[in-house]
Amino acid sequence: MNAEAPATQSLLSGKPLRLLIAFILVMNGMFPALWILFTSLKTEAELTVKPITWLPHAPTIANYLRAFTDQPLLLFLFNSFMVAILSTALTLFVSVLAAYALARLQLRARDLILSAIIAVSTFPLVTLLVPLFEIMRALGLLNTWVALILPYTVLSLPVCTLILVSFFEGIPRDLENSAMIDGCTRIGALFKVVVPLSAPGVFTAGILAFVNAWDEFLLALSFNSNPMLRTLPVGITLYQGEFAFPWPVISAALVVGIVPVAVLIVIFQERVVSGLTSGGIKG
Amino acid sequence: MATASETGIITAHREGATKWWTRFLDPSERTLAALLLAPTALLLSLIIVYPVCRLVWTSFQNLSLTSGLPAEFAGLENYRLMIDDPVFWETTWNTVLITLITVPGALLVGLGLALMANMPFRLKWPVRLSLLIPWALPLSFAGLIFAWFFHSEYGVVNDVLRRVGIEGIIWFNSANWAFAAICLTIIWKTSSFMALIILAGLQTIPRSLYEAAEVDGAGRFRQFFEITLPLLKPAIVVALIFRTITALQTFDIPFTMTRGGPGTSTATLAMYIHQNTVDFLDLGYGSALAVVMFLLSMCVTFVYLRMIRAKG
Repeated sequence: MNAEAPATQSLLSGKPLRLLIAFILVMNGMFPALWILFTSLKTEAELTVKPITWLPHAPTIANYLRAFTDQPLLLFLFNSFMVAILSTALTLFVSVLAAYALARLQLRARDLILSAIIAVSTFPLVTLLVPLFEIMRALGLLNTWVALILPYTVLSLPVCTLILVSFFEGIPRDLENSAMIDGCTRIGALFKVVVPLSAPGVFTAGILAFVNAWDEFLLALSFNSNPMLRTLPVGITLYQGEFAFPWPVISAALVVGIVPVAVLIVIFQERVVSGLTSGGIKG
Repeated sequence: MATASETGIITAHREGATKWWTRFLDPSERTLAALLLAPTALLLSLIIVYPVCRLVWTSFQNLSLTSGLPAEFAGLENYRLMIDDPVFWETTWNTVLITLITVPGALLVGLGLALMANMPFRLKWPVRLSLLIPWALPLSFAGLIFAWFFHSEYGVVNDVLRRVGIEGIIWFNSANWAFAAICLTIIWKTSSFMALIILAGLQTIPRSLYEAAEVDGAGRFRQFFEITLPLLKPAIVVALIFRTITALQTFDIPFTMTRGGPGTSTATLAMYIHQNTVDFLDLGYGSALAVVMFLLSMCVTFVYLRMIRAKG
């Protein structure tokens, strides 16, 4: 703030400029999450003071307690976790098999299949709301996790397959062949040799699938009428207060929902970046 | 480099594999490919191919679950209704407008973020993390957080405005301001993904190109427009197309911020499809609306596939 005229030159070239830019970048990315964290720590009285305060004066965890007791937040978390983990597992299983076929086997239609997979990755799932709703209703799957797990699997299948194809192509065929000489079947060699050696790729694909499922909103909103089956985004959005929208409690619930994904991102940031940028995917 | 003994082992292994179950475990290349691709094919048929056919079929039907009547063929009636439906035109226009504003907006902001993030920072992870967090945040969370940002009384945006002497805006009471708030939120949420893609592209540009340009006396701006931008083009095109397709499906952020209000002034086509399907249970009309969105995004996908093929 007090960089006056004499400092301008060094400000434009050297370390201060870099610090300023880093500050802008970090603020752009973190401020909304930080702000909701601050809000969640304020008392109800402090939230209705004008002008508003920035940092919480007397931090309290009361909002967190209320977030877990006013509504079944723990249940929402559980639903989100189960749907995300099960659909990630299914996505990985299906895409490992497909990617192996595309990377290793002689397929005349290889390019056609890859094009089809890319086309699916751009497919607007929103448009299938009506038919998927009808299908899930006919199969008796409305108000079950399965109604979400199947579409989420398809949502992540293309990008996961593409990531895995490029990883599998980098594994030397000799390793696989020697495993087969040792008596492994091809499928055995796939799961005992190729998949373990592609662990970084499998991880990257898994994280992307998990985040996709964790973030999805429209289908989760539409295919469940039972409040006990709501996923976290739907549960928080449809939170009903007694009077107005209960912002302090909402903030606490949002922080609870941000933490799991933030932890994943912090631990696996480099892998996530490489997965996101290896092929264009949805954002 | 197979030695004689190794070849012997392989032949022995092959000869042993005559029982039917071993053949199943070690099938021919083509059978194996079919087996491995079967789960993908099954899932795509159930969740994409069959629903698409059913969608088109239902869009020609009179099918409302509230009336309790069985479906009956209605020809183009749903589509005729749509042409006379002002809400259809308004939500479609809003969707197109959101796309036209937020896609270039996210590109420009993303480009700026990427250029900044490409500086030689000693610590890489804080910058990387601040580009990843907005991407990983659920759209619905971003909508809720920014709704709180833009809160007329206790929002941080109006607080900052008041501090610099501007009267606060009641964002969600006016169609235009609500629309602006939604677009800003979408741009914030999506620009960091753009930045990540562009940053990856930036890091593949060899430094020697800039050094050569400097020797030739090209300034910073000329370097940017004649080296950086042309070399970034492929990365940008891919990111733009995905962004365009997701922008056409915009639902979460307007839904969580305004529920489409005031009135239907910030409702998108996806929200109108959802309303007709889930709230009104008018599946015929909902399908016809979805067909329109489907055609819109197929156009974009078509362009995308042609570009990929052109790349080789």
